[in-house]
Amino acid sequence: MLCDKCHKREARIYCTEIVNGVKKEQYLCEECAAEYASFHLEAVGVSKEVNLGNLLSGLLDNVYKEEHKKLQESVKCKECGMTYEEFLTNGKFGCANCYEAFGKIFDKSLLQIQGSDKHIGKIPKNFMSKTEKVISEITEIDKMSLKLQDAVEKEEFEEAARLRDLIRELRKKEAEEVVNHTPGQKEEPSNA
Amino acid sequence: MLKWFEQKGEHDDIVISSRVRLARNLKKYPFGVRLTEQGANELFEEVKAGMEHYKDVSGNYFTCKLNELGEIDKLAMVERHILSPQIVNKKQCNGLILSEDESAGIMINEEDHLRIQTFTGGMNMKTAFSRANEIDDRIQEKFEIAFDEKYGYLTSCPTNVGTGLRASYMIFLPALSGAGKITKLASEVSKYGVTLRGLYGEGSKSQADIFQISNQKTLGTHESDIIQSLNNIVMQVIKQERLRREYVLNKNYNEIEDQVYRSYGVLKYTRQINTKDAMTLLSQVKFGADTGIISLEGDRSIYQMMMNIQPYGLQYGFGKNIGSVQRERLRAEYINKNLPELKSR
Repeated sequence: MLCDKCHKREARIYCTEIVNGVKKEQYLCEECAAEYASFHLEAVGVSKEVNLGNLLSGLLDNVYKEEHKKLQESVKCKECGMTYEEFLTNGKFGCANCYEAFGKIFDKSLLQIQGSDKHIGKIPKNFMSKTEKVISEITEIDKMSLKLQDAVEKEEFEEAARLRDLIRELRKKEAEEVVNHTPGQKEEPSNA
Repeated sequence: MLKWFEQKGEHDDIVISSRVRLARNLKKYPFGVRLTEQGANELFEEVKAGMEHYKDVSGNYFTCKLNELGEIDKLAMVERHILSPQIVNKKQCNGLILSEDESAGIMINEEDHLRIQTFTGGMNMKTAFSRANEIDDRIQEKFEIAFDEKYGYLTSCPTNVGTGLRASYMIFLPALSGAGKITKLASEVSKYGVTLRGLYGEGSKSQADIFQISNQKTLGTHESDIIQSLNNIVMQVIKQERLRREYVLNKNYNEIEDQVYRSYGVLKYTRQINTKDAMTLLSQVKFGADTGIISLEGDRSIYQMMMNIQPYGLQYGFGKNIGSVQRERLRAEYINKNLPELKSR
């Protein structure tokens, strides 16, 4: 098959671009793909041979060249200190946190490389998603307090009073537990 | 114990083997490019300790520090696909955990902290995957793995993120290759997110008409769907290769039969031979055996011979460093001795 751009050389690279939900497919030869992805071989002093690492960083770089130039420069991973620029040069992240650090500017490029930006498949056995984590950390008291608010808003005062008492009970219990679990601490009067 | 490539599998006239690779990283260490020498040492020791006494259907596992092995041992393992060229060239502390029959292993501190690899003979990706998955389960029991609910398993390079899964088949395509169809086939399958490349992976030329075919994308598709869609493509390739074999055999049976026997004869009586020639001739004998032109005694697979005559494997087998002339003589001797006898018709 011939290259869609120059119609001369054999197409070796398949390129899909999704812009605003419109899919554009192209079969390109190495030369045109190089131009298309605009990676700077000459600037880095590398031979003109197409190199996958460069092609990848070319793709990554290209998407955000204009709009996110400033953002790119300022973004840096807090954990390992890698900058987005540095990532573009060698196509490799420095640590697990980089994905989150660069997520915003990186997602669109990831779509280009992988055709998706969301994992489907195996998850670690005890893995808890962020939402699950938040839910698991909500205490009984928090739940009651939310219900109490709701009851007050709906002017269901009897229910509100019941909830208020329940919360008081729970708080008292919690305080007692804390006291019991910290030996050597001065005991406080239980009806404070 | 039989090596994995001595086991029989489905479609093994075309599919030589199935391989699964899972990329994983430990949460507490930075990735490869940011890992210090000390970090690399700690990573190795921690993984070694965590996987100690691990055992499964392929027997016991052994751990070794690759930096302590000789060049030849390591390069021989690259030829057998147990190690990647990248890990051999790496100076930092790195290691390998390998099962007794060499069908499963974990590379420590390759591009990612852990690269789990499993192999089976023939077309049997499901088995290969479920074994890799078991090893992965054990790893996740012992270590906290870098995982994100959006991006999945986090890897050093974003081309592996998500499932971290690369499923690849080693396939023997003499008829398609002989007809000059490989380039077209490669561009055809790439439309479906599948890569076709030479025997020794990225950038390597094919030897003896053996190719690797694998999934490109690792994110956004369930492991089982990745394998299923790769299988669908491979089944198409198998179909094409079979059709082509049938066609050439119908058209030129006598010439091909002659070629197969000649190749057999040369291999049987050659006194010295280089890798490339030996691979080409073995490929023709394999083609003859796979299509029933000749039939061979015993179970020894031609593919196994192909692995054993690679330069470093050969040297490793003889236990000493030798020059290329001597190597060619050793290779010839090995082939003379191990080439299966022809069954009389």
